[in-house]
Amino acid sequence: MQIRNSVLGLCLTLGAVVASPAANALTVYTAGPAGLAKQLADDFKKSTGITVDVFQADTGKVMARLEAEAGNPRADIVISASWDSALDLDKRGWLLPYVSPNAATVPAAYKGPSYVAQGLSALAIVWNTQSGTPRPKDWNDLTQPAFKDKVNMPDPAQSGTALELLSGLQAAQNDTAWKLFSALKANGMAIAGPNAQAMNPVLQGAKAAVFGAVDYVALGSQASGEAIEVIFPSSGTVIAARPMMILKSSKAAADAKRFIDFVLSNEGQARVAATFLVPARTDVPSRRPSVKDIKALPAENDADRAGRQALLERFSTLYQRK
Amino acid sequence: MEAATRTTATRPAATQPKATRPTATRTTAIRASFGLTGATIAALAVLVALPLAFVFLQAIFPALAQGRFTEPFGHLGRTLGDPALLELTLNTLKLGACVVALAALIGIPLGTLRGLFNVPFARVWDVVLLVPFMIPPYIAALGWIMLLQPRGYVQQLVGVHAGPLLFSFGGVVFVMTLNVLPVVYFAVSRGMAASGSRLADVGRVCGGGAWRCFWRISLPLATPGIAASLLLVFAMAIEEYGTPAALAANAGFFVLVTGIERRFSEWPIDLPGASTLSLILVALAMLAFMFQRRLMRGRTFETATGKPIDVELRALGPWRLPVTALFALVALVATVAPLCAIVATAFSRTLSGGLALSNLSWVHFRAIAQTGGDAMQALGTSLALGLGAALLTGVLGLLVAYCVVKTRTRGRVLLDALAMLPNTLPGIVVGVGLILAWNQKWWPATPYNTWGILLLAYCCLLLPYPVRYAQAALQQIGDSLEAAARVHGAGAVTALVRILLPLLAPSLLAAMLLVFAVASRELVASLLLAPTGVQTVSLFIWRQFEQGSVGQGMAMSVVTVLVTTSLMLTVTLWTQRRAAR
Repeated sequence: MQIRNSVLGLCLTLGAVVASPAANALTVYTAGPAGLAKQLADDFKKSTGITVDVFQADTGKVMARLEAEAGNPRADIVISASWDSALDLDKRGWLLPYVSPNAATVPAAYKGPSYVAQGLSALAIVWNTQSGTPRPKDWNDLTQPAFKDKVNMPDPAQSGTALELLSGLQAAQNDTAWKLFSALKANGMAIAGPNAQAMNPVLQGAKAAVFGAVDYVALGSQASGEAIEVIFPSSGTVIAARPMMILKSSKAAADAKRFIDFVLSNEGQARVAATFLVPARTDVPSRRPSVKDIKALPAENDADRAGRQALLERFSTLYQRK
Repeated sequence: MEAATRTTATRPAATQPKATRPTATRTTAIRASFGLTGATIAALAVLVALPLAFVFLQAIFPALAQGRFTEPFGHLGRTLGDPALLELTLNTLKLGACVVALAALIGIPLGTLRGLFNVPFARVWDVVLLVPFMIPPYIAALGWIMLLQPRGYVQQLVGVHAGPLLFSFGGVVFVMTLNVLPVVYFAVSRGMAASGSRLADVGRVCGGGAWRCFWRISLPLATPGIAASLLLVFAMAIEEYGTPAALAANAGFFVLVTGIERRFSEWPIDLPGASTLSLILVALAMLAFMFQRRLMRGRTFETATGKPIDVELRALGPWRLPVTALFALVALVATVAPLCAIVATAFSRTLSGGLALSNLSWVHFRAIAQTGGDAMQALGTSLALGLGAALLTGVLGLLVAYCVVKTRTRGRVLLDALAMLPNTLPGIVVGVGLILAWNQKWWPATPYNTWGILLLAYCCLLLPYPVRYAQAALQQIGDSLEAAARVHGAGAVTALVRILLPLLAPSLLAAMLLVFAVASRELVASLLLAPTGVQTVSLFIWRQFEQGSVGQGMAMSVVTVLVTTSLMLTVTLWTQRRAAR
């Protein structure tokens, strides 16, 4: 009898869990930074009374969930760490055109008809100051014998930002960039998973530097006392914007627009700045080197972006990735 | 060991209705038996078959996620034509085989000693050897990295590092084996304790030497448990993502799971490709499953006859000290070493500060306390989900095992296979399968986007543990017991609850504890399925890491391991006290 009751219980439990989340809530899918989305959601609720349900994961998981849900989309707003995903979703016609009035001071490069940057980060060399290696100033310095087997790079296949760096370097320098990649390979540079996985060995000192780490995470670690320095290479680096977009399938488009406005408001941008990201709006102060202080590589054109798959394959072959 | 076919001929009447004239009681028994099987099949269909079917469909129809059945097999050529595929498959097999071999090499002797002999501090070893299971594999891998990499804790303490050794195929096998060791250890020790001792004693009385009795009686009798646990280990090894990704990717060693993960995270997302690779994984596991069934076929392992079991464990004599040392060594390597690295990191203000008194700090624990209850809420959610998964899989596992071992229901092999499958599916694949299955518009109600979907995912992923453990135990229980109950008028359900369940309880409880431990720290499926606004422990930790706060992540791991361990200790002590009464 007990067993039959348990089976019954199982069925009941399965039935009971079908409760639906709060009606009228706004659903936001976002890729990092961890606390930011939650804070923005809380602030937004305080000022508008609209509940925001947040799903947070890395860009890959966010996109995988979007893709798997394509038949019955759930998200209203997507915040990605990779500009490419915005361009691609736009090309597929999934995005709702919207230009926020608060986006006026967002540079043209970081907004489009249906997407706008939430904030920006730059790719940098993160160097362990106690590693006994000379302080690197540019990407090339990491090919020096002092850095033999002591450099990590996030895997461009897993880290969207690392791929942007790869692509930006190739677009700007072409063959010179490939000489750099080959020299780094010859110097024993390791490809180490997503961003955090590349960084930890540098914190402990197993490696001396990361080639192309996301700067805001490292700046945060530095602020909490880690012996590292975030160095923006003299020859230029890639500025990675984190796009926000509204899905066309959203049933709460009006609220979604308000949320985008809110993130781009003074209050929202201050929250963004607090995480060591560069605010998307140029008229909001940032607590770190701003885009003006970082030498940026020239922006890529559509052809450069289109060639990324081939680029990734060439890089993967060079580093024998499967 | 006589052929099993003999025994089949004398199965209880309930499953052979034509052999005898059904009486009223028997008819009820038959109905109950059918009802039981039916309910089990229905539950498995929801839990396992449904998401798996969608993965299968996704592999065939590339546009399934968009709700279209166009271009069937459109993707197959490209995925299967990839020259890397063969290498990934062979690497996966190699990894699975090596982990199984090493886990058997360590787990079987340890489990045997624990099951048959009076090992000093036996209870302590049981708890300590369960801990690796409560440490999420990616945390354990990270712990080992921080321990052994250049300038890691070991080098800081004694001046040597083992970086090249760790970041290699061997390193992956080593770390993974330590992670899955509890599976073999507990299956073997419980199996041996339940059966091996008494019959081996008979062997001794009849003049057999100690070793001879072990090889001819104890070991063969424990084979179901050993084979079942090794199958689980194989499935876990080929399914695990974190360890190979963290340790072997650098050495250029890639497996199917890393390939699947890549297709899921590399833009553009390749759902059909990932699904196809998953099906290859499933096929590998099916081969292992069939191999295990072949191995077990034609043997019976019935040893539990209902007579009082002689629980007296033999004395170790002069071997007391070496055996204790062996247990201590394994516990040190499998549990203490990674745990030390985790604790050290949790208490270090900064990672670059290293092991220094001045670097010692509570700051990370304080930061967790300051999250405004977020951390505690995550812990509560994870524990509740772990408990729910343990109970549900426990009941279901028992039912599946019963239907497969004790009834002659047609399709029970299918049932068995279905219950095994999820363990071979990487968490992310189950996650996608569940989204595809439950996010359809035509469901009148759906658990998707509630905590219910996480429960479904954990139950699906972890069902194989109770099934395997209960099956191994059931195979050792003689049919005569149940038949006796039936003769006295008990129906199938009563017999199951009153006779079989008490005999199965130790194995089932061990399996449920494993489920609880694994479910309360599962990451990959949670990462994809977590409903908006719900946070689990693993997600909390992972977000800390992503944020660069390794110390906070490790502090949360310490808290979690402490809480889960004490919870499980309480349960174990409570059941032991009950059993003793």
